[in-house]
Amino acid sequence: MTSDDVPALELDGLTKTFNETRAADDVSIAVPRGATLGLVGPNGAGKTTSLSMAVGLLRPDSGTARVLGVDVWRDPVEAKQRMGVLPDGLSLPERLTGGELLDYWGRLRGLPRDVTRTRAEELLQVLELDGAERDGVLVAEFSTGMRKKIGLATALLHAPDVLVLDEPYEAVDPVSARVLTAILRRFTDGGGTVVISSHVMALVEQLTDRVAIIAEGRVLADGTLGEVRGADATLEDTFVRLVGAREVGEGDLAWLNS
Amino acid sequence: MVELLIRLKITLGRHSSVGTRFLSLVMIALGVALTWYLAVAATSDQVRSGLLMLALAVWAGGWLLGPTITNGVGVLRAQYFTLLPLDRNRVGAGLLATAFVGTGPLLTLVATATVAWHAWASDPAALFLGLLGMLALLVLMVSLSRLVFRALGAAMHSRIGMEIASLQWGLILAGLFFGWMVVQPAFSAVSSLSREGLQGTVLTVLSVVPTSWPVLAVDAAAAGSWGAAFGWLGALGALTLVTVLVTVRLLAPSVAPRGVRRRSRPLGSRVLLGGRSFLPDTPLGAVVGKELRQWWRDPWRGLELRAALWTGLIIGVFGLIGPLPQIAPFAGVAALLVIGLGGANMYGHDGTALWLTVVGQGRDTLRADVRGRQIAFALLAGPSSAALSLVAVVASGAYWAVPYVVSGLVVFLGVTAGLTLLLSVVAVTPGVDPHLRVDANDAGDNQIQVWISLVALPLLSAPALGTLVWAGVQGVPWLAVPVALANGALAAWLLGRSAHQRLEKRLPETFTRIRYGKAVAAQAAAGSGGGLLDQLERGALATNVDIKPTGS
Repeated sequence: MTSDDVPALELDGLTKTFNETRAADDVSIAVPRGATLGLVGPNGAGKTTSLSMAVGLLRPDSGTARVLGVDVWRDPVEAKQRMGVLPDGLSLPERLTGGELLDYWGRLRGLPRDVTRTRAEELLQVLELDGAERDGVLVAEFSTGMRKKIGLATALLHAPDVLVLDEPYEAVDPVSARVLTAILRRFTDGGGTVVISSHVMALVEQLTDRVAIIAEGRVLADGTLGEVRGADATLEDTFVRLVGAREVGEGDLAWLNS
Repeated sequence: MVELLIRLKITLGRHSSVGTRFLSLVMIALGVALTWYLAVAATSDQVRSGLLMLALAVWAGGWLLGPTITNGVGVLRAQYFTLLPLDRNRVGAGLLATAFVGTGPLLTLVATATVAWHAWASDPAALFLGLLGMLALLVLMVSLSRLVFRALGAAMHSRIGMEIASLQWGLILAGLFFGWMVVQPAFSAVSSLSREGLQGTVLTVLSVVPTSWPVLAVDAAAAGSWGAAFGWLGALGALTLVTVLVTVRLLAPSVAPRGVRRRSRPLGSRVLLGGRSFLPDTPLGAVVGKELRQWWRDPWRGLELRAALWTGLIIGVFGLIGPLPQIAPFAGVAALLVIGLGGANMYGHDGTALWLTVVGQGRDTLRADVRGRQIAFALLAGPSSAALSLVAVVASGAYWAVPYVVSGLVVFLGVTAGLTLLLSVVAVTPGVDPHLRVDANDAGDNQIQVWISLVALPLLSAPALGTLVWAGVQGVPWLAVPVALANGALAAWLLGRSAHQRLEKRLPETFTRIRYGKAVAAQAAAGSGGGLLDQLERGALATNVDIKPTGS
């Protein structure tokens, strides 16, 4: 099942309609093992919807997703064991400290206590959350960036094969962003596969080796960075070419200069 | 700006459901009719004066408690306007002004117009006093209402505030269950009321209440003492002004940090710092530990738990001072039942945090999640209601009640531990997501859970309760305790099993309900037919109000 040619993560014809709006329309993307895929698209393009269906948070109208060949919707328990997930903007058990959250998570995932404790301590330290832990700061009191970081720690704690991260860099300060990038590189160097969604092109270009562009629920391009970019100078140019952009003309918004 | 805010409120109102609003409107209209009946049917000026004072005090009470009980009051939230370059107090004033728009304030104005009628009937020269009093009363009541509601919201920032909010809820709930004992003498006198009016201490007490002051002003004017008349009205005016100013201040957007402030490390938070753990390294241990901490530390959960204990305590006090002393020893049992009602939306309380359970789903996770929550619930509800029972029995000296209290506690602990979880899963209703919560009723709506529990709790406990009645009649009430134990344990086990099997089948749908709100969840629910649980899910979708802004 998990031979090398099986994609680490495969979105297969994922389709979802919300109140007659097609949020995802036959989304198919295959991510080879060891790759880092950037999923980019404008706001409301269907990135979060597609990723939610891929990790088991949202049941698709049709299509499915596979993690290392295991069907997320037919064998969720097996598939979820191989995945680490960071959703965007959701709540956590708000009245736990970061350490308590990881302790809860480790036990829930069935990790032995000493493994949980060592990994949790290391994660909190690397992500610079150890100070907050010493002060007993609850997740409810965390800043947006700290929430991202503790979320990332939960995604990493059980050492998954595939990481699916929705907007991991949002609200994270530049220093923490470097740490985050280093963690992701370490993860892929060890054979792990990463999928991140973002609308920051420069970040995706710098971090990933594969990219998929999605707009209005449809995949417009999917491949290695070079394949997708083609003759364009930057990924942003490709993105604008594919998605289309409203140009700001000479006379528009003239009042801004007044 | 005020006009703009009012239009925004009306636009938002158009997008919300009507359901419970209709019921409250009917109640208010009936109140208006009753107030006018009392004003017109009174046989003398003096009788009318007393009756109006009572009626106006009740109106003020309604305005004070109403917004807390009904959901969705905070339509225009102050924090929406935090970033606008406007004076914060002007935003507060604008928001207060919007509170006067609507059918409720309009009908209240019709009711307070009885003061003008009273003035006209007592002495036409005092009419302008009556008209001024009418307007001041409306402003006072509506401002006070917003004041109390915001104060409750602000209360969620501190431990003592949460305790006050719990006490207020306790009073409301105990009043709903046993308030009739207090009101009943008043009702039995209602036929003679329009003839004889109110007498004695009631009048003295009422004359202290500010809503009575315009009536007293009119009475003074009619008696010729205009100095006293202006004094009463002036006092009302001054109080109204102060209330408005304080309310404006409270309604102004706040940028202070949210959540309960602490000075020290929270209890039991040293898991990584070498602290001992008494819980097993299993998913079940994980859930029990998390749940106990959440119940202990989350002000919104704390509110449910404490309000229930206050309700029990107040019911006990009603029993001690009222005409039905038999209820006093059952204070703890009552508290336990109310904890059960409040806990019936646990997954709604947790909001989108359910994603952890979804993406972390292992072979045993969902069973552990349900059983762990049951255990934590029982660990908190059991000892606290037992302790309250002990106090109540000793205080009332009703030792005859001990076997009844024990049987009640045992059977209801099991039944509520089962029913709350099943309802929490099937009828899950999200509130404002936990990390964005501000107001006291921002946790999800649970009205359908409450109604169903009120019917289902006695039904599910029927074997034990039946045995208790039989054994009581036979003079051996202790015989019911083992039956209660079996009944409770079986209910907890079966209902809990039903809950985690349901979750097993519909985990993504449950998350969808929380994450995407009503409309999307209705797509995923079985359209018609299905079992009892499917019908219940549809019922919750149709009845409970979403106070959550739907996300993208």
